[in-house]
Amino acid sequence: MSQIDFHYLMPLLILTGGALLTMLVVAIKRNHKIIYVVTALSLIGSFLYLFELRGLQRHVVEPLFVIDGFAILYIGLTLLTSLVISMMSYAYFEQREERKEEYYILILLATLGACTLVISKHFASLFLGLEVLSVSLYALISYLRMRERSDEAGIKYLILAAVSSAFLLFGMALVYASTGTMTFEGIAASIASAYDLPLLMLTGFGMMIIGVGFKLSVVPFHMWTPDVYEGAPAPVTAFIATVSKGGMLGLLIRLFMQVEGFRFQTLVLIFTIVAIASMFAGNLLALMQRNVKRILAYSSISHLGYLLVAFLAGNELGVEAITFYLVAYFITTVGAFGVVTMLSDSEGDAEQLEDYRGLLWRRPWTAAVFTAMLLSLAGIPLTAGFVGKFYILAAGVNTQLWLLVAMLVLNSVIGLYYYIKLIAVMFQQPEAGREPVERLRPSILLASAGTLAVLALLLLYIGVYPTGLVNLIEGLISPATMVQNPSAPLLEAAK
Amino acid sequence: MTNIPMEAGLLLAGILFTLGLISVLIRRNIIFMLISVEIMLNAAGLAFIVAATRWAQPDGQVMFIFILTMAAAEVSVGLALILQLHHQLKTLDSDAANKMFG
Repeated sequence: MSQIDFHYLMPLLILTGGALLTMLVVAIKRNHKIIYVVTALSLIGSFLYLFELRGLQRHVVEPLFVIDGFAILYIGLTLLTSLVISMMSYAYFEQREERKEEYYILILLATLGACTLVISKHFASLFLGLEVLSVSLYALISYLRMRERSDEAGIKYLILAAVSSAFLLFGMALVYASTGTMTFEGIAASIASAYDLPLLMLTGFGMMIIGVGFKLSVVPFHMWTPDVYEGAPAPVTAFIATVSKGGMLGLLIRLFMQVEGFRFQTLVLIFTIVAIASMFAGNLLALMQRNVKRILAYSSISHLGYLLVAFLAGNELGVEAITFYLVAYFITTVGAFGVVTMLSDSEGDAEQLEDYRGLLWRRPWTAAVFTAMLLSLAGIPLTAGFVGKFYILAAGVNTQLWLLVAMLVLNSVIGLYYYIKLIAVMFQQPEAGREPVERLRPSILLASAGTLAVLALLLLYIGVYPTGLVNLIEGLISPATMVQNPSAPLLEAAK
Repeated sequence: MTNIPMEAGLLLAGILFTLGLISVLIRRNIIFMLISVEIMLNAAGLAFIVAATRWAQPDGQVMFIFILTMAAAEVSVGLALILQLHHQLKTLDSDAANKMFG
């Protein structure tokens, strides 16, 4: 590796260094505050370094990594989300576990894994990033050892994630067997002239889709989602819903753009079915839930379905739409789980619908933020969620995916019902005598409250004035088109 | 050695993989489920080695070492979780560890 490679990989190296430093600090002195500051500083440092790389040319670290505008955008998004989540974790863990320091090491490592995913262009780095992310997540999910459901969620996630990794690996092996290369552009070159995929390749891609679909929690690989969301601590749930899925989606986009996967009818058909099934299953099952974390779990399944619509559009507009929607989805999901985090006490997370009854009268500001987040998830105008959904619809209409667009609109209506139901619960009069005891000094909650306020403002800002974000996304994605040799027929192929 | 066709090797890996998958689905003891997952991962590793032999490249073996390392990390976390679970439930039956559903 040359010096310039180090320069380009610096954001990841800072994260690695941060994780090691945190580990050393834990060994010397267990102090929640110090660890917290070290974590925040390494995330911020890594993020600031991205500005150094921003204007530069696309750089390839052969054969594993590629750093281009797309990668910088996704790494920045991941880092900011992790930062926000660790801001909110401080108050949450201050009142719970006696050993809360290792949590931050795991968060840093999981972030590193997600960042590795979005810059990888080789099966080995893909696998490495995925596993660094997954193994950290197993421990994070079951972090609150005293809670029974935490362990259950952890072991369920572990077994299922390992099975899905096995599928992914076997798929990669089959693709490798038929092409003889593991780099994305090598695979693209070997099937560039083919009109139809050979059986071995098709099986390989199918098995890889199983592995990827599990991480994205799309139907029919979504079974773990509600249980894990319910059992995991609220900040970790926010992490799974955003960073882990975002990293995987970034990788999927890069792989498919490179191999021009949309030329192949079978793959398009698979993704279409998955997208429609995710939208319907997510929204319909969410209607029956009484647990807020489970409602958000099913809602995230349907949101991934929406994202796949833009993914299937498969052109540059589609990628922009996905990125915009991801930003909106990250802000809203982190915000919603942030509210859950803030309302949780040391007994358990605030997850029952009852915990939210009359929230507006007890804590008006928190309720207002939660309402804003829910409205954005539903896609009501003036929020970021609306602009994101509009963008996705534009991408779908542009490539004439009429069926998917119709399904999206229909599902938005279904989704509206349970978001509004949740908001209605908050507006009801509280029952007497259910006043939860405030255990924390308000100064600790200040960080969480400030973060939530910033998220809510950001949500409204993007909803009212989306041009700034759109320009940022276009500026980063367009000049460095992700395909090695940019090709025009993508647009026609997507039809 | 070289006259074993690639398809035979892949078929063997596929059979091992299917056996592992079936046993994950039907076993109720969590430790056995973990072992079955290991079988699936190693089947994928075998497939990598077979593929690498076809192209006479070392990449497949590199991937296999990656897989071994990852499986070790995964099992260590998994066994720690199982210990924790056994403390709480006094059993390793995976049906007992199913409090959340529906």
